[in-house]
Amino acid sequence: MKYRMKDQAITYATLPEVMIYQVARTIRDGELVFHGYGSPVPALAMLLAKRTHAPHMVHIEGATYAVNPDPAFLPSTSNDWSLARGSVMAIGITDLFDIAARGDMGRMFLSGVQVDRYGNLNVTALGSSASPRVKLPGSGGGCNLSGDVQHITIWTTGHRAPLNRVGERQFRFVKHIDFISSIGHVARDGTPRAALGLRGGGPEWVVTELGVFDFDPRMHVLRLRALYPDTTVQDVLDNTGFEPVLAPEISTVPLPTPEHVALIRHFDPLNTHQREFKSTDVSRCFDLQDSR
Amino acid sequence: MAVFTSEQKQVSLADAAAIVQDGMTVAIGGGLSWREPMAFLRELIRQGRRDLHVIGTAHGVDVDLLCGAGAVSIIEESYVGFEQDFGMAPNFRRACQGGVTKVYDTCCYTLLQQLRAAEYGVPFLPVRSIQGTDFLQLHPEYKTMTCPFTGLPLVLVPALAPDVAIVHAQYGDVHGNLKILPPLVADMLFIRASKHIIATVERLVPTDELQTLEPNVPYFWVEAVVEVPYGAHPTSCYPFYAYDRAHLAEYYRTAQAGPETFAREYLDRYVYEPTTHDDYLRRIGGAARCHTLESWKDGDDAWRALFAAPEGAIV
Repeated sequence: MKYRMKDQAITYATLPEVMIYQVARTIRDGELVFHGYGSPVPALAMLLAKRTHAPHMVHIEGATYAVNPDPAFLPSTSNDWSLARGSVMAIGITDLFDIAARGDMGRMFLSGVQVDRYGNLNVTALGSSASPRVKLPGSGGGCNLSGDVQHITIWTTGHRAPLNRVGERQFRFVKHIDFISSIGHVARDGTPRAALGLRGGGPEWVVTELGVFDFDPRMHVLRLRALYPDTTVQDVLDNTGFEPVLAPEISTVPLPTPEHVALIRHFDPLNTHQREFKSTDVSRCFDLQDSR
Repeated sequence: MAVFTSEQKQVSLADAAAIVQDGMTVAIGGGLSWREPMAFLRELIRQGRRDLHVIGTAHGVDVDLLCGAGAVSIIEESYVGFEQDFGMAPNFRRACQGGVTKVYDTCCYTLLQQLRAAEYGVPFLPVRSIQGTDFLQLHPEYKTMTCPFTGLPLVLVPALAPDVAIVHAQYGDVHGNLKILPPLVADMLFIRASKHIIATVERLVPTDELQTLEPNVPYFWVEAVVEVPYGAHPTSCYPFYAYDRAHLAEYYRTAQAGPETFAREYLDRYVYEPTTHDDYLRRIGGAARCHTLESWKDGDDAWRALFAAPEGAIV
């Protein structure tokens, strides 16, 4: 394989690389998969999945809508020809959203500045939308796609809740969400997703820098499934603004192989993905030799 | 959509900008850091346009610049920001948080359906999604209904015909035929749905040469065309030039520092003082800067180098 050449030199993976691998593992072979702009973690996960366990995945690239690209590198802005390089062609914006609306998009990736227990996400405004304390950039296609896409993988690099000046945790995983930009499993008024007439199945996986989660099938509440080698259940509980469900067996995430890590480093020589992480998470390293 | 039959559409940037009136709904072509009609927007600001209602999908410096110049009163976009590059859009944020504009975000497919309703000549189109989100509260003009065929709930979004669409194309001719290279983003929908269509182009070429490039916009959809080489700067317009990340870093630094700094160090320097586009090109570094931005063609290393420095601030 053409990306193998540096395998011998790779002895460790960083937390961002391990997290990209977890996001990649949520992709099934044969799915038509799309990531939004400003999403280097899912972009790398898709490039990785297609070159490893999901060769039949259809890769539709971020803002260029290029089909199965082989990017020169990951730039810091998404609507760039460098990301479309190597693709035979691009589809158009209506093609892309119509694919989702008719139910043919297998997976998409969403994130949020607030995430509630049901996987509802806020990227619109903090405080009231009539008079926002912080205006966030907006949901792009996320509002519509959260309803239409078969499966959503949520990722966030900001699970760890910092303390504010008076010692209160500033949660990203919140009890009360200020604005629902994209719909999870239960609406604000308690209406379950199934009664909203939506085509897609909603959030399936949530990958954060503290662990990997899915949703309890009965209550539709966030459920802890796996931890990193250096995180604990207590870390998750301390940094979550509501009580997540704990799976009966909580595993440790599998680490990527040197080949996986080589692929990530091949496609992201500028380390654009690290811009999404706190420096303390970039410096978390996992030895790949122990796991062999 | 309108039909423009004039044989000769070429006008000056100033005359093209004069088509836009205060208070109009304006659909800005391109997306994020790609093919934004920046020279045209700078001219709009110099002419003192106010109370614009801007419409679009995912945008960045174009909408943020209009916000910073006080030209906007309604922002109906799905995203305004600088992604991983610089984070949030400072002028956009201030306009929304200071009550200058109300939060009126849209979402990509919702907007596409509204534009397509205008394009198809029907009063609305249905959408399955949006249900369960708070966009229904932001937009009282969206209606819900039970589908008479399936019994399922639907959201109906009204046709949206912008007063004016402004796109930046790679090639055009004096009649208004255009060749826009992909990603087309929402440009074709804006062109078909809007009442006035203005195009700036990198190169104006003879019609027989344009024919060999397989044009994708017919002349009768275009009201005015202006030749503006580097008209998308500081955003990219491949195959001519890449995104000017160093300029964006300067933009972001001045915008982040506050409205006074932005007015003095950015708007004066890059919008008001250079009264012609040639003056602007001298301000950004002239031929040497342009040459650097064209170096993406020299191979992956040169291309990558354009994104490697300088560091931007991250939110």
